[in-house]
Order: sequence, then structure tokens, then C-alpha cells
Amino acid sequence: MHWIALQPWPEATQAPVASTGSMPQDANALVDALGALAWWALRFTPKVAQVDDALVLEVSGSERLFGGRQPLLHAMLGVDNPVMSVRHARGATSLIALARLQLATGPRAVAPDDLPLQALAAARAHLPTLERIGCTRWGQLRALPRGGVARRFGAPLLDALDCAYGLKSELYPWLVLPEVFDASLELAAQVETAPALLFAARRLLNQLLVWLRSRQRGVLALRLGWQMDKRRDTASEGELVLRTAEPTLDMNHLQRLLGEHLARITLPAPVLYLRLRTLETQALSGSTASLLPDDVVGGDSWHQLLERLAARLGPQCVLQAQACADHRPERMQAWAPASSAPVRVAHPSARAAAGAIQAPRSDGLYPTWLLAAPLKLAVRQARPLYQGPLTLLAGPQRLEAAWWEQAGGAAQSVGEGCALRDYFLARSEQAGLLWIYRERLSGPGADAAPNWYLHGLFG
Amino acid sequence: MSALPLFAPTVGAAAVWRADELARPPGLVLATGHALLDSQLPGGGWPVGALVEILQAQSGQNEWRLLLPALKRRPAGPVVLVGAPHIPFGPGLAAQGLDLQSLLWITSAEPAARMWACEQALRCAPVAAVLAWLPQVRSEQLRRLQMAAAQYSKLLFVMRSVPAQDEASPAVLRLLLGGPAAGADELGDALCVHILKRRGPPLDQPVRLPARSGRLGALLSLCGTDRSPRSGQALSPTDQGCFCGTDQELPSNFALSPTDGRMSERFGEGHALDRLAALA
Repeated sequence: MHWIALQPWPEATQAPVASTGSMPQDANALVDALGALAWWALRFTPKVAQVDDALVLEVSGSERLFGGRQPLLHAMLGVDNPVMSVRHARGATSLIALARLQLATGPRAVAPDDLPLQALAAARAHLPTLERIGCTRWGQLRALPRGGVARRFGAPLLDALDCAYGLKSELYPWLVLPEVFDASLELAAQVETAPALLFAARRLLNQLLVWLRSRQRGVLALRLGWQMDKRRDTASEGELVLRTAEPTLDMNHLQRLLGEHLARITLPAPVLYLRLRTLETQALSGSTASLLPDDVVGGDSWHQLLERLAARLGPQCVLQAQACADHRPERMQAWAPASSAPVRVAHPSARAAAGAIQAPRSDGLYPTWLLAAPLKLAVRQARPLYQGPLTLLAGPQRLEAAWWEQAGGAAQSVGEGCALRDYFLARSEQAGLLWIYRERLSGPGADAAPNWYLHGLFG
Repeated sequence: MSALPLFAPTVGAAAVWRADELARPPGLVLATGHALLDSQLPGGGWPVGALVEILQAQSGQNEWRLLLPALKRRPAGPVVLVGAPHIPFGPGLAAQGLDLQSLLWITSAEPAARMWACEQALRCAPVAAVLAWLPQVRSEQLRRLQMAAAQYSKLLFVMRSVPAQDEASPAVLRLLLGGPAAGADELGDALCVHILKRRGPPLDQPVRLPARSGRLGALLSLCGTDRSPRSGQALSPTDQGCFCGTDQELPSNFALSPTDGRMSERFGEGHALDRLAALA
């Protein structure tokens, strides 16, 4: 048996390592430093338990895996490995390790018989009496007759002493890594504005990072909830769901997204508690690193860009196009909010149509710009005008489509119902090459002068 | 990237730029696809990782024509359009080599949001080029974009209006499209490019890019030759009744009616206007 006792030790300041996705080095940046330390320690041994404000680890079972005790200690306590700065002590039993941790004598190990009785938790209640009978060390207490000690101080002290000397086995409730990350944080002060919540949420995110690292998973969806002051006559809870397209460990990206979302939230009452919970995580696949420095491209990834743009500008402002099978120009493509996933084509026929449009067909005569709504042109002497008279160069290209969608009535507007158009290529002295069409009326209104519309520009 | 004409940063005597000759840009260069323009640009193409400013009277008029040949051969990656003046029309762009799926269109009206989106797009690793329409941008904002483009080596084109040509700009290359003679000369649809600023001697004469390429060019040249015998009189709307299947006389040398089934069979199921191009 070999035990290691660990305790977060904020005084031992280390230079912060500020690389992306690195572990937070400061215990203050976490919500529950001891919990995070335990999650991290579980990678070395399954036997991790919490005793008061310290952790004890039983490592004899994992020594062979790490190649011996010294390599294990080096892996655990090397320069850049700990999740935070810690101090540690070792011993043959957990109580010895804990007592040495409290003494903080550094590498020089104190023999168990010389350990002070203050360092034994079970003896603390009896310290004044023990001191008056001149008993201050473990060895001195052990030398006293057992029957008298049991009568005077109770059996638990003897049990603890037996455990400390390895005469009795030690039982601990071993810690496990939770399946779902769920952490809450009581705010030190009431927070009035949503953006100020980001500071507290950052600590939760740091905690999340430790959990994700231990589980080797990336987060896909998160929920940040908050509890507000119940004395106000408003809603007492609020929440925000954050989703990313790819499982990520990048807390900077999540933090930026959270900031964008929080910036648009108005709090009805001051917030007292924050809670962060993972809704969906996914196991991380390893990434292939490049040996050559040239291959490392700087910058954000595509889905990060899309998510950040959509978070600040709104999804309706970040558009990607999808080709559609239709003869009407305004229906040939659909600009839809960009999802960071690759473009999904729902239907096989739509996929085929999309492929057909992608192929260089006879589309050289389509314009490069399309007007959002066709602009009705003034007509003078039967010639359309747009920034001066237009010269028709070529045409007509007749379009007669979507009669099957006719809503009823002779009025045809763009996008609804039947399209009966003759497209022409026209030139304007000011505006360059234009794509205009003449509405070809059918039915009783055919004798009226045709309407001309500007529909596209050859930019 | 290996398909691009690469110019390694030069050292020694070649690094000295004499003011009467064109400079060698320090970064990569992407050929514009217009040979005439290439010959007048430092390094022979659009500088990658630098701000290129394009000024024109009406936004949306000539950008694609100028930029599409280069965008077609860009390094693989999406093209981000920030605040385009109209809807980019995918089939028209795809026909000229720009895949519809590689476009990302950011429609934001606020100048500050457009600036921010531009900068974010430049910072994104897979993005190949950013085309931004920024009519109200200030010089120091352009400098930010220039720095971002240089840091992440992206193609960056900023479209502005003509009055901006009097303002100071950090752009490496400034072009003014169009001009007094555009469209009215013998070249018909030629595009006049005034190079306002480049790393090289000033250029007084505008570069005249020839008429449009591809099918559209063929069609336009046909229309141009067609126009001359008719003493500049282009097709008037009264002529077009004949295309609609009435009994009027066909214009003698112009085109076939779309209802003419024989020609349709011969040229396949293409675009109606293609038949004009095919005749040319």
C-alpha cells in the first residue's frame, strides 16, 4: 500500500500557462477546486477519496502501469501536469500521508512515531487531556495500555491509531467521475446585468474543462441556468442553451459564444446562483498533429466562425445557398441560415438537381446578381427605362413555369403562382448589362401594355 | 497553392524597389485572369494577404466580372461576401466557376457589424477570400482589415464608392472601375480599370479589359456585329413581337424563334439565348 495525500495549495504560485485548452492553473479559477483535483487524480488510480479538505490516493495498484513509483509521481506531480498547484505527502497509510501533509515538512519524511497528535483527526478532541499526561506524539500514545486508552478516550481513537499503523484496513467512499457535468455556483455578490455573469460562468467553464479532459469528451450542448432573487416579483429562473456544431474543448470559443448570447439578455432581477450542465457530449477523436510547422494554419475553424457570426448578428444574417430545381430564377437557389454542419440535401432528387446546377451547363447567360424583388421599370414609347433608356441586346428567353402553383386570379407576382415571362438582355449606359423581363399576360388582360421588370445585373 | 504563380520573398538586390518599376510584393500573388491587368499589377496579380480597394459608381456593377476569374483559381476554401448589394445569383456564378456552396453571405446593414464580420472572416483559417462592400468605412478601420488580411494571408477586396478616392487609404492596391468612356467606345462592353494606387509608377491610362468572356461575350459580340449594319439601331421592342409567335417578319439576321423546333433539336436543350451564341 502506498498513499499520496494531495491538497490544493494556492500559495505556491506558478507561471500561468495561457495556451488554448490548457488546464487552468489557478485554483481560484475553478468552482470546486478539490472536486476538479479529484477528477484529475482519477486518471492515476481508481482509489481516490476526499478527507476533509484534502484527497488521498492509493496508488500501489497503478505503479506497474506507470513503470514504478517514481515515474508515477513524476507523471502526477511533474512541472506542467497538475490541474492546479498542489502540495503532496506520501505514506504507508492514508493517515500518515495526511499527517505529513499537515506538517508540510517538505521532502523530509517524519517517522510515524514522531508525528504530532494534532495531525491525527480522531485525537483532536482529546488533545488537552493528552497533552496534560505528556502525550504529544503518535508513538507515545501507542505506548499507553490499550485498555486504559479505550476506557478513557473511546474505541474510535484506538481504531484510528490501528489504521494509521496499518494494523487495520482503511475504508473510504471512493470518488467516481460523474456521467454528466452539473455544477452550480453561488455568486459572491448579486449580479444585475447579464454580461457580468460571464465572469462567474468562466469559472464554471474551467471546471467543465477539467471534467471534459478527464472524460476525454467534447461538449456539444450546454445549459447555463441562473436563479434570481425571489423577493422580486418576476421570474425566478432563467436559462440559456448553447450548442456547437463540433464537440469542442475550446473554452475560449464557448466563452465568446456565451458572451454574445448574454449580451442580448436583460435580467429582470439580480442573479444569486449560476448552474452549468452539459446536455450533450461526444467522445473526442484524436487529432493528427503535423510535424512540419508550415502545415499549422492559424485562425479559427469554420464552424467557430459561423457560430460566432450567428451569435452576434443573428442566424438570419449569415446565409448559405442551396441550389434548387426550379425554372424560376428566384427559386433556383435558396439562401438559408448557415448551419455549421455541411450542407444537407434532404431529398435524393434535390441532390441530383443540385448537382445538375453545379455542373457547368448552359448557364453562362444568367446574371451574377439577382434583385431581391423585381423592380418595375417605367416605360416610355414602349421602351423600358432604367437610369435612361435601355437597349435590348438579346432575347427573348421565354419562361413559362409554375402554372401548377397558380393561386387563382390573373395577378401574378414573383414567387407565387404562374410565371409567364420573356427575359431580355439589355444595356444601360449607366448601369451596365441588365437582365430584364416582360410579363406576358395571359387571358383577358393581354391587350394591355406589358409590364417590364428589372430582375438581374451582370455584375 | 502550388498551382498559383508563387513569388518567394526576395532578398538582396532584388529586394530593392526602384520607384520607376513595379514592386515585387512580399507575399503570394494570385493571377487576376486578365492578362492586361496582370501586366500592370505588382507581382502580376492580386496580392494575397493585402487589402485591395475597388471603387465604382454603382456597387454591384462590375465586381464579379473583375474578380471571378481569380476567384475561380483561388486556394480551396469558402468565399465570404459581407454585405453584398444584391442577391448573389448562384447559377450565374457557378457557370463562371464559383461554386454556390462555397459562398457565405453575411447580410448585415450596420457598418460596424459589417466591419466586425469582415475581421472575423479574415481570422477564420479555411476562408480563402473575403469580399466586402463597405461604403462607410473609415481609414483606420481599413487599416485593421489590412492588418488582419496580412496576418492570416487572405484575399481581401473592399468595394467602396467613387468619392472615397480622395480619402487616404492603407490599401496596397486601389482600382477605380468604369469611367467616362466606359461602355461608349468601340469595344462595347469593355471595362476601364484606373489604377489609382499601386506599388509602382503611377499609371495615367486606364487598363481596358476586353469584353466579357465565355458565352456572354460571344453573344454580345454577335449583337455588336448585328447592331452595326442596322446603323446602331438595336432590337426595338416592336421587333420582338415576332418572337412571341405572331406572324410578323423575323429580324433577318438576328435569331431564331424559340418555337423553332428544328434548331432546338440541333443545339440540344440549352438556354434559349445559347442559340444566338452558337450561331456566333
